[in-house]
Amino acid sequence: MRPAVLAIFLLAISHNALAQNDSPPSSSETNVQALLERIQQLEKRISDLEARENNRADDKQATLQAPAPPPGDATEKQYPSHPQPADEHDHLPNTTVVREAEEHYPSLQIRGFGDVDFSASDQKGSVSGFNLGQFVLHFASPLSRKVSYFGEVSFTAQPASYELQVERSIIRYDYNDYFKISFGKYHTPIGYWNAAFHHGAWLQTTISRPQMVQFGGTFIPVHFVGLLAEGNIPSGGLGLGYNVGLGNGRSSILSKAGDSGDVNDNRAWVATVFARPSRIYGLQLGGSVYRDKLTPQPGQNFDETITSAHLVYTKEHPEFLSEFANSHHRDVLTGRSFNSQAFYVQLAYRFPWQHDKWKPYYRFEYIHKPDSDPVYTGVSDLVGSTLGIRYDITNYAAFKGEYRSTRLGVGEPRSNAAFFQTAFTF
Amino acid sequence: MTAKQKSLAVLLLAAICVVALAQTSTNVDIAVVVHPDTPITNLSMAEVRKVFLGDRQYWSTNVPVVLLIRAPVARERDVVLKRIYQMSDAQFKQYWIAKIFRAESASAPKVVYSNDMANELVSAIPGAIAFIDAREVRPGAKIVRVDGKLPGEPGYQLR
Repeated sequence: MRPAVLAIFLLAISHNALAQNDSPPSSSETNVQALLERIQQLEKRISDLEARENNRADDKQATLQAPAPPPGDATEKQYPSHPQPADEHDHLPNTTVVREAEEHYPSLQIRGFGDVDFSASDQKGSVSGFNLGQFVLHFASPLSRKVSYFGEVSFTAQPASYELQVERSIIRYDYNDYFKISFGKYHTPIGYWNAAFHHGAWLQTTISRPQMVQFGGTFIPVHFVGLLAEGNIPSGGLGLGYNVGLGNGRSSILSKAGDSGDVNDNRAWVATVFARPSRIYGLQLGGSVYRDKLTPQPGQNFDETITSAHLVYTKEHPEFLSEFANSHHRDVLTGRSFNSQAFYVQLAYRFPWQHDKWKPYYRFEYIHKPDSDPVYTGVSDLVGSTLGIRYDITNYAAFKGEYRSTRLGVGEPRSNAAFFQTAFTF
Repeated sequence: MTAKQKSLAVLLLAAICVVALAQTSTNVDIAVVVHPDTPITNLSMAEVRKVFLGDRQYWSTNVPVVLLIRAPVARERDVVLKRIYQMSDAQFKQYWIAKIFRAESASAPKVVYSNDMANELVSAIPGAIAFIDAREVRPGAKIVRVDGKLPGEPGYQLR
């Protein structure tokens, strides 16, 4: 405000000087005078309001004065060019403002995500048309300075009704940045995508998740029930972090977690280490190991070891996501082993024009599994490409359109499909 | 001097004033101010980024970081988004929704609407950190060095 007043003031003075008092006041000069008067009136009004507000809070302020900085602290600095040092009265914190800004416990925040989709495919037996995507609600609530709760539920349209699922339910205690422990149901921190993007389609660039981390899929265990320790590792500019979890692992239906109890007496564990080097802001690379004993049917036991690595660059000029996982299964009875691999590479770029609204993307994905693997009965070999574009209608809603060319199974023909989605958060 | 010349001179002078004022405003340093009890005196630019990205959430075991950021349109916010986050306003909003959505943070930065409000909150809330126009930092406030430099010193990056 002050620079504007100064500019108008200088403008008025210069104009007056040049006019040399011999010419009649022009209409622009009258306007400037009127504006100056108006500004003065408004400034006076603001001052009056501030004084009234401060007087109202005056009796409460004494106990909340800002503590004096420690003497001799080298970082204390009264900026030398401070033009208008605030007077004593101004230094007292406004209790109302402070009280409103302070954290209150619990402090529940709810956020919703939704999407509406349209698909059309040349695959035999497929039906084109609209469908309602998942309706997702998130609940986040700090319970104290160190304890917080997070929940996620989804409603998925079924032919006869909506299926309600508790996707995540986590209570976490933060000791410090290096050690945070939580209990509940998670998206298993294997690789990158599964722990970075959850059930809100709005947050991910593309319409769908890669097949290897698909909800309802079995290549990796998407959910995990148990405990998780996480934090930073003191490593300077390397920016190391970790996750270590212990939980129930997969249930007898491999796509489900053991929410109601483990299917066997063997706990699953997962460990992840990642680095976010400070020199390359946006880069993250890491690796994970997951181990479990699977019991798909009574008497059938398999050891499962999933190792994965990821390299991502999350800035949007460009955005680069890549992830690889190898899944090893060993039949406990016969000792036979099976290895399956999956990876994807996704590249996107947000165009800098039209307010950064357009973001084209491409993803290549691949899955291979041996035909003889008795665990991955629901997994097919896959080679697929996805080409699409995302348009951010507003800060909280996006429209996406993509073309997919996919070959499912060895020697099968490619299928082509077009997908459209409007995804939003509210 | 004719009336036309006078008008031209006025316009020229006004343009010079506006340019000069704009120049002054855009070159002002933005100070990183913390609550006086916060146990830090110097942060590297990478550390400031880590704090504001929510990757560092504690100053010490018992002192959580409380982020204060100016509301949209304020120059302090523009500087923070450009220099620290390297994001647009939309990307910044999306970043914090995603951060909470991943259960990595329980709350987003608190929005402050003026430098006065930032001054008040940073001095009253333990662990608070804010970016304030260096000319409007209150006397006695604790300004953190960034890469060893204070506002006004050559090479200070937040402007």
